[in-house]
Amino acid sequence: MRGMKMTTENQTFAEKFDLLGCIQCGRCTGGCPVTVRTNLNVRRFVYDAYDEDLLDELSRVAEIWDCTACHTCAVRCPKGLKPLEVLIGLRSLIVESGKTEPTVRDALESTFMEGNPWEKPRATRNDWMEGLDVRIAEPDEKVENLFFVCCTIAYDPRVQATAQNMVRLLQKAGVDYAFLGTDETCCGSEIFTLGEDGLFEMLIEDNTEMLNEYQADRIVALSPHCFTTFNTHYPDLNKPVIHYTQLLAELLEQEKLAFKGELAKKIVYHDPCYLGKQSEVFEEPRRVLQAIEGVELVEFNRNRERSLCCEGGGGKMWVESESKIERLAETRIKDARALGADIVAAACPFCVITLDDAVKAEGFEEEMRVAEIMEILEELEVVQGQSSSAQEVED
Amino acid sequence: MKMFTCIKYVPDTSEAEVKLNAEGTGVDSSRFSYDINDADNYAVEESVLLKEKYEGDVTVVSIGPKSSDVMIRMAMAKGCDRAIRIEDERIADHDPLMVARVLAGAIKDQEFDLVFTGCMAEDYGQAVTGVALAEILGVPHAAYVKKVEVEDGKVKAHRELEGGLREVVEISLPAVLTIQTGINEPRYAPIRGIRQAQKKELKVMNLDDLGVPVEEVGADASLVVLEKLYIPVVESKAEIIEGDPDEKAEKLASILVKGGLV
Repeated sequence: MRGMKMTTENQTFAEKFDLLGCIQCGRCTGGCPVTVRTNLNVRRFVYDAYDEDLLDELSRVAEIWDCTACHTCAVRCPKGLKPLEVLIGLRSLIVESGKTEPTVRDALESTFMEGNPWEKPRATRNDWMEGLDVRIAEPDEKVENLFFVCCTIAYDPRVQATAQNMVRLLQKAGVDYAFLGTDETCCGSEIFTLGEDGLFEMLIEDNTEMLNEYQADRIVALSPHCFTTFNTHYPDLNKPVIHYTQLLAELLEQEKLAFKGELAKKIVYHDPCYLGKQSEVFEEPRRVLQAIEGVELVEFNRNRERSLCCEGGGGKMWVESESKIERLAETRIKDARALGADIVAAACPFCVITLDDAVKAEGFEEEMRVAEIMEILEELEVVQGQSSSAQEVED
Repeated sequence: MKMFTCIKYVPDTSEAEVKLNAEGTGVDSSRFSYDINDADNYAVEESVLLKEKYEGDVTVVSIGPKSSDVMIRMAMAKGCDRAIRIEDERIADHDPLMVARVLAGAIKDQEFDLVFTGCMAEDYGQAVTGVALAEILGVPHAAYVKKVEVEDGKVKAHRELEGGLREVVEISLPAVLTIQTGINEPRYAPIRGIRQAQKKELKVMNLDDLGVPVEEVGADASLVVLEKLYIPVVESKAEIIEGDPDEKAEKLASILVKGGLV
């Protein structure tokens, strides 16, 4: 039967990605942010991939690895298709053949062996906690907020402060929280976009079983990638998952948290694709920044669902584009400079890393900096809000 | 073509601080991740590439604990056909000669054209096992091989020498090749492939099953005694010698003489 060789579970490639639903309107390519620097034309792949005999050839076109999985094409598609997933499907053919780039191979093997794509030992996953008195979750102990740190925040020294400052904030604000031990394992966000379906399925199965054992009211993810992946690909999780900016906005609204001190800075907030256009969390991070006295919050022209991708997602941390044209993160940083921003605030480890590199590449270190929202909050005194204090008196 | 590929499960010491265990006879491995020895990974790939080119089959041989099965399954997912894992606490496994004798015990009574090992293991870094294995099996070998060409019952092995030189040797089969990293690009073993490899045979054997007498491979047979491990003390001392060339030479000579070095 035609097409069977390239598909699983008796579904053809065209059926799996609903390719016949495509009307070739071109909204996907029209919105794709990477087309300014690469030859990627997602519309062409959606069209050509209908021919099963072409799949092998298409999977070997280098451009399929330029996609950052920002989901702009999916957001814009009038037919509700996800063109980017056609590219991921083609990547899967390469991964299944074993002939991946060595950087991709190493990230995937590390995730299989050690539970993270950064080639770090599982045993050192919680080394970021050193010097902090962190409450570690136990399956039989009730907790309101169970934190899921993310591999990148756990291991990358540039963004570890996100978790470290979160612990300090939770303790000062008196929030009921716990972190996972070294059992915490990659959510699979980047494994999915790199095309390793089998490993992604294994992670979903193992993580669902592990997380469902905890008596927590909800999971709070520090990275938008974990947040969106849990909410999109984990149908059997038995508790809701929120992003940490949603928790902070909630604590501020309920007056359980307040910031003392002033920060007279012009801040521009960069919407991460996984938090914004993919999960529609736009206002909470802004509310947190606006709660800081002295902050002037300005906006990029391309903000919220139109936010420009930093190119950190879609497995791009492990695949370098051959393009020599300016990176999108550099474009973003130039836009921030034109706005006169002192700080580019982001709430995603990948955005922080790519934007930070862009500041260095452009030589703007003297004039501006990139900061994770938790890093900005560290400069202020965090106190319990009036509501928490009142409750304590009553208690 | 019948091939054997010997692989080892080793700790990655690059990402965690190396500390000695309480007895001072080994390192505390609790914070290490374990994986296939780098050079062995290239050996697996080279054997699978030859299998794809000339047909034949590859048997993986490894000495290690049950936890190393995952590494063996990955090698089988890449194309190796079956595996033997040898587990026996009596093996003096810090001595490459003893290790070679055990590996030879698994291979010697079987027909083979090529045996692959990595050129060096990342843990002890002795680069001896493969060469010793060839000697025990009574076949020729080539070490630090960067290219393999098989033709007419012979193998042309391109060896990497010191200073970046390359030596090409022609040896008759059967033979042992110790593979240098960079000879190929090891493929990825997808999880679905690893699951399918569960169906391939993985035989677990001890010294008795192999018919290798413990007197030949145990601590008493080993000529290597591990007395003590220690972390070298980090010291930094530098003396900058000033003056014109004659003065500098005189001062340097006097330092060397005083230090008893000349």
